[in-house]
Amino acid sequence: MRQPHNALDGLDMEVAAGQVHGFLGPNGSGKTTTLRALLGLIATDGGAMRIFGEEVPKRLPHVTARVGAVVESPQFFKHFSGRLTLQLLAESVGVPPKRVDEVLEQVGLRDQAKQSVKGYSLGMRQRLAVGQALLKQPELLILDEPANGLDPAGIHHMRSLLQWLAHEQGVTVVVSSHLLSEVQLLCDSMTIVSRGRRIVDGRVADIIAGHSGSQLSVRFDDAGRIRDAVEALQAAGGGVTVTAEKERLLVTGAHEASWVTKTLADAGIYLSELTTETKNLESVFLELTGTTPQAGQPVQVGQTAAPVAAAEAALETATGGDRR
Amino acid sequence: MNLFKAELHRIARRRLSLIFGICAVAGLLALTVIMWFNSSTGPSEADLAFAQSQADEVNARYEACADDEQFFEGHPEYGWVADDEWFKDMPHEQACSEVFWADARAEDFIYVYTFKFHEEGVVLLIGVGIVTGLLAMLLAASTIGAEWSSGGIANLLVWHPNRMRVWSAKLGAVVTVCALAVVAMLALAFGLLYLTAAVRGDTGTLDAPWWGDTSERLTRTGVLALGMTVLGSALAMLGRHTAIAGGVIVGYLTVGEMLVTFVRLGIDMRFPELLSVYTWIGAWIEGRVTLEHWNGLSELPETMVLTATDAGLLLGGIVLLFTALGTWSFAKRDIT
Repeated sequence: MRQPHNALDGLDMEVAAGQVHGFLGPNGSGKTTTLRALLGLIATDGGAMRIFGEEVPKRLPHVTARVGAVVESPQFFKHFSGRLTLQLLAESVGVPPKRVDEVLEQVGLRDQAKQSVKGYSLGMRQRLAVGQALLKQPELLILDEPANGLDPAGIHHMRSLLQWLAHEQGVTVVVSSHLLSEVQLLCDSMTIVSRGRRIVDGRVADIIAGHSGSQLSVRFDDAGRIRDAVEALQAAGGGVTVTAEKERLLVTGAHEASWVTKTLADAGIYLSELTTETKNLESVFLELTGTTPQAGQPVQVGQTAAPVAAAEAALETATGGDRR
Repeated sequence: MNLFKAELHRIARRRLSLIFGICAVAGLLALTVIMWFNSSTGPSEADLAFAQSQADEVNARYEACADDEQFFEGHPEYGWVADDEWFKDMPHEQACSEVFWADARAEDFIYVYTFKFHEEGVVLLIGVGIVTGLLAMLLAASTIGAEWSSGGIANLLVWHPNRMRVWSAKLGAVVTVCALAVVAMLALAFGLLYLTAAVRGDTGTLDAPWWGDTSERLTRTGVLALGMTVLGSALAMLGRHTAIAGGVIVGYLTVGEMLVTFVRLGIDMRFPELLSVYTWIGAWIEGRVTLEHWNGLSELPETMVLTATDAGLLLGGIVLLFTALGTWSFAKRDIT
């Protein structure tokens, strides 16, 4: 028998209206499960979920008209054209046919509307799926990995579209993704999850700033002065950590870059370059989710570097079904 | 209502619907052509002349034999008659009539089949109804199964979270399509076969009792087709894939009946036909089937009568059971 495990456990997440909110996590961390549960596609053992203040999935029929979602990369009926695919869906809820053309225009498929889906690229199918979600002019748009399969131009178009929807039309957009650079460019706020739990949430810039620290890279014309520089900085105190590398020094914990400049100058050591190294979202994400590769330890693609003890504890307390 | 109409359009626009439609009409046309060329109201002048010449040839050989008492002696082809014990004490003329055909007539050599609509038409119409039902069952299974394998169900539920409403709309749409297809095919088949009988055969008398009996049997055939369609949908909903539903259906129709035959051979049962679904289908359509069991001791067989009500209860129960399972599965299982 398969061991059950908790796909989601204690996840607490709130999305403010009118923003693009990123939902990040390693593969298998529970992103898709969260979205499916929210949309009533899978049952949960406990907890509470609300959309527009209505409890879901119980009250889902009352809010469905205001929610557009793509929770799966749909294959569609391959002999249907893009337009027919949208028309049938529009017809099923009484959306007027002219809305289909508007959406095809919005997602950049107007010229391929009569083509059968069989001939669509992965990116075009992805855009068609987003088009489906946009048909009913939703107030909340939930997209699971919308950038999957898109080329750079397609990603740019999608990003512009989603930001326009959020910032100009007031649509709240929730995007799950594993493309960190994309989330950094696209989202206003985000939630990072790992192993079914929330790790952090807030504005993207604040999260990155909050975990960046201040790390300074210092170089010299004469690499032989590195050892002298280390001694000078450590002797000056100030609670800094100094790490010598082959060509440079890394200084962390300094309040001001000028303190480093002055300390070295007082010691008769003149630097040739001083730069502040800011962490990007990737390094913050790897640090927070515990997926930073360790030297000498092979890591499978998408593997969460969960401590063994924590993984065992999760299995012991499992009560839910076997979900990913 | 919008969802139901959208589902109807989805089925109508599917390529499989078009293919099945073409196959059904082509099959019906092929049947009509076969009946058209096989049936005849009577022999032509040429047929009669040819048959007469055949009869004359046979009679001539008999007379040649009867006229010659020594006909069989040393005859290269029939010399064996003279040596055969069976013919030893037989009068010569009788031996000739035993070997050759005496008094052959032209009608003995005329093979004419006349399609009698009032007798055979209803059997063919029932066949057309059942084949249409089979196609509708496969189309229904494919319609539901394709939605599952394409991820369309998950997307549809995002729009229509009430699963029972979605299932009802889909079931309603496939049943409607099946009903329309059965009515259209039966109407077309009736017209084509009646025309064939009128031109190339015999329509017979289609009186009130004929209409009463025929409409009863065809109505039950239509209901059977609808039941098959619901069953195909339920199996696809249960298995969440066309191939699973198709596999169960084709598997039963091929291996299932074979297994029933083996079971019949292996167990001591008075009416083993009860194990075959075809027996029940026959009882449903015909309205009454009598099964016989000969025990070898009595002169009359033991009998068991299956009525349309018996068959309807069993077949309806099977359809209801699988529909309930499919409904439960769709309502309760996660959409992953």
